[in-house]
Amino acid sequence: MPTYKTHKSDMIFTIFVYAVLTLLAVVTLLPFLQIVTLSMSPAEIVNSYGFHFIPTSFDFSGYRQVFKNDLIWTAYGNTILRTVLAVTLTLILTFLGAYPLSKKFLPHRTFWTGFVVLTMFFSGGMIPSYILIKELGLMNSIWSLILPGAVSTFLLLIVRNFIHEIPEALEESAKMDGANDIYILWRIILPLSLPVLATVALYTGVYHWNAWFDSMLYIQDEKKQVLQLVLRHIVLDGDLAASRTETGQTNVNTESMKLATLIVSILPILCVYPFLQKYFVKGTLIGSIKG
Amino acid sequence: MTKKRKIVKPSASVLLCCVIAAGMLAACSSNNNGNSGTSDSSTPAALAGNGDNNQSTNKEDPVTIDWLAYNSFGQMTPGNTIEKMVSEKFNAKFNIWYIDSSNWVDALNVKLAGGEMPDVLLVKPDFNTISKYVDNGVLAPISEDTIRQFAPTYAKLINQYDLWNTVKYDGQIYALPAININGDYPTALIWREDWLKKVGITKIPQTLQEFEEALTKIRNNDPDGNGKKDTYGLSDYALPAILGAFGYPGISDFKNAGKGIVNLDYIQKNGKIQLAAIQPEMKDALTLLSKWYKEGLIDPEFITSENTGGYWADSNAFYNNRIALTGKGMYYHWRNQMNANAPDDLGGGQYQNLLKAQPNAEIAFGTPPVGPDGKSGTIKWGVNAPPVGITTKGAKDPRKVETILQMAEASITDYDYYNTTFRGVEGEDWKEENGNYINLNPKITSADATKKGISVFHMIESPDFNKKFDAFNYQFADSVKTEGYAPFPAPTVDSFTKYAGDLTKLTDDAYLKIILGEASPDSFDDFVKKFEANGGAQIEKDVNEAYNKMVGK
Repeated sequence: MPTYKTHKSDMIFTIFVYAVLTLLAVVTLLPFLQIVTLSMSPAEIVNSYGFHFIPTSFDFSGYRQVFKNDLIWTAYGNTILRTVLAVTLTLILTFLGAYPLSKKFLPHRTFWTGFVVLTMFFSGGMIPSYILIKELGLMNSIWSLILPGAVSTFLLLIVRNFIHEIPEALEESAKMDGANDIYILWRIILPLSLPVLATVALYTGVYHWNAWFDSMLYIQDEKKQVLQLVLRHIVLDGDLAASRTETGQTNVNTESMKLATLIVSILPILCVYPFLQKYFVKGTLIGSIKG
Repeated sequence: MTKKRKIVKPSASVLLCCVIAAGMLAACSSNNNGNSGTSDSSTPAALAGNGDNNQSTNKEDPVTIDWLAYNSFGQMTPGNTIEKMVSEKFNAKFNIWYIDSSNWVDALNVKLAGGEMPDVLLVKPDFNTISKYVDNGVLAPISEDTIRQFAPTYAKLINQYDLWNTVKYDGQIYALPAININGDYPTALIWREDWLKKVGITKIPQTLQEFEEALTKIRNNDPDGNGKKDTYGLSDYALPAILGAFGYPGISDFKNAGKGIVNLDYIQKNGKIQLAAIQPEMKDALTLLSKWYKEGLIDPEFITSENTGGYWADSNAFYNNRIALTGKGMYYHWRNQMNANAPDDLGGGQYQNLLKAQPNAEIAFGTPPVGPDGKSGTIKWGVNAPPVGITTKGAKDPRKVETILQMAEASITDYDYYNTTFRGVEGEDWKEENGNYINLNPKITSADATKKGISVFHMIESPDFNKKFDAFNYQFADSVKTEGYAPFPAPTVDSFTKYAGDLTKLTDDAYLKIILGEASPDSFDDFVKKFEANGGAQIEKDVNEAYNKMVGK
């Protein structure tokens, strides 16, 4: 009997937890559903008051307007290329930078750490950065989007702290077995650091997927611009088109177009995120708690 | 460890000093560039005098102009028909600049600060930017004689609209004013005519009393027939029109003011420039609005605006049977008369949106209410469009200045040139039928139009050509034209830039409190005192001085 009782209270607790979590999930999902619905609804529904969670009538003109733009496909390509390149580069540089900094025997370690940390608090600002990029001859090249942010101090410190926590004995034993530094880094440290590297990859990936301001500043050629900037154009251009004075000018339903744009831009991230989320949570926790 | 740290700290601060010093050096050197630019700029005006010779010597190498005198919605494809036509006509080559139109000011400022400059550019967002550009050595003065020599018709047109004052700084002309003729048409005031009929009003209200009567009936007599008392008279878009019955509306856009976007207009009263927000007649206006609010004529949600999403001229409250009177949009947004020569014409965009939401709705263009002293009007934008400036780099070559002026002149005098540069190639982008203009690509986006070279080279919109070309549209516009208030185009002063943001917040706060009944209308006097003490008086003093200096008093 007593076991039954505890079982019952357990069940109540479980039900309670499930109810709260379900509610939380619903609260998070409903605004998203509203956006999905409105993105495929005609103007009269978009302009009406109230909640729209399930589409009742369909009008895909918003999506048509977004996909009609030829630039969107090249922009998609540019963004994917940019993200892949940047993530790869950031991973390599961050890892190679963090490892030495985690070693106590590195000469002037405190100085080098301070040197890196300094960049977290001070930057040249927009205009000096622009001049720098120009003088380096990176204008209008995809490298102007990747190189300036290739190493994030914050992520470097997370990785440094993570590696710092790996027992030194592991390396010592490897050394005794005759492994050199490179071998140790490659075969011992790297496999153990995978969770934190996944975090770095995800942070960097999301950042580069969403970035547009640098593309606006440094890239002149429309064909080299990134997705977010092109989408931004489509949205704002829709506003302008509606304001044209000429007779016979068709009115673009800007609201559904904006929402369609939103869906188009977040869909890829949305598809990838569930599979990477566990690394995200794990890596961030490890980095922050032990740091 | 502690010892080590002590060593690190100074080295970090030394580094920091280096960084700051480097930054300052960079800033200084760019300033120097700017200054040298301005000092050079005195020459072109002098050089331009002997520019007559250049006109005939067309065999010369074409002049190359770095061009940014257009709204760069997209990147123009070089070598298009329009560019070729313009290049041949003026013996010029164009290096078309592309600045992200959605973030124009920031994107351009970075380039200017980085030492890159076009030869000619659109001064955005409006003429107030001129003073900043002049101080930073971006814009060069253009002598009035040069303008009158190469663009006489254009100069006359600007005289006619009295716009030279908007481009002057320290008594010199720094840009070519542009005209947006739609700014001469006041914003529309739109009634739900079917509702008015339903509550027994057959004549569109004209005086304040008639407005009050109509709005009260709409509030109480259930015009939408759903058995609930859920209709209001008006929301925020029509408020300036009500304020307008007493004088220039102290707030011309409640939504923007609420968001903290500067919303202080100048008026000219008794020969002096004053700020509209603190005029004594606004006290009477607010007294009335506070009474209307108490009686439920004003939608309580007006604070968060009747436009809850979408294009700015959309009124969701109007579409959803909540209010009977809206404003802010233009005649072309609400046009409910169809062009018989254009079979697929469905009317203005906002009119179409209303019909989609309320298929049986009927609208009527109203007139702003006439107040006790006979005043009335809605806000109009004013005809000044973003002017075109010639940079210190462009002004170094008098041929560039000449070519630019000649292009401006052609936009005003040559109908075919204007139509081609502004609307595109005839037969490809538009055609004319029975004196009516028909757009052959009605769904073209601004970006695609720019790509083809449309609206890149015209520089100045000609009011006469616009009206000639789009006759039906402007006939309709004239038929619904009402009284309007346009802000006085006063020169920019530093104190305005400094205080206007806070003063807008102060004004919005005071106005809303009185309307909502949280403060008595008498608190308006305190507000005026506070307004003047917090920079309002300073602005008025400075702006009058600057204006008198500008016009040479």
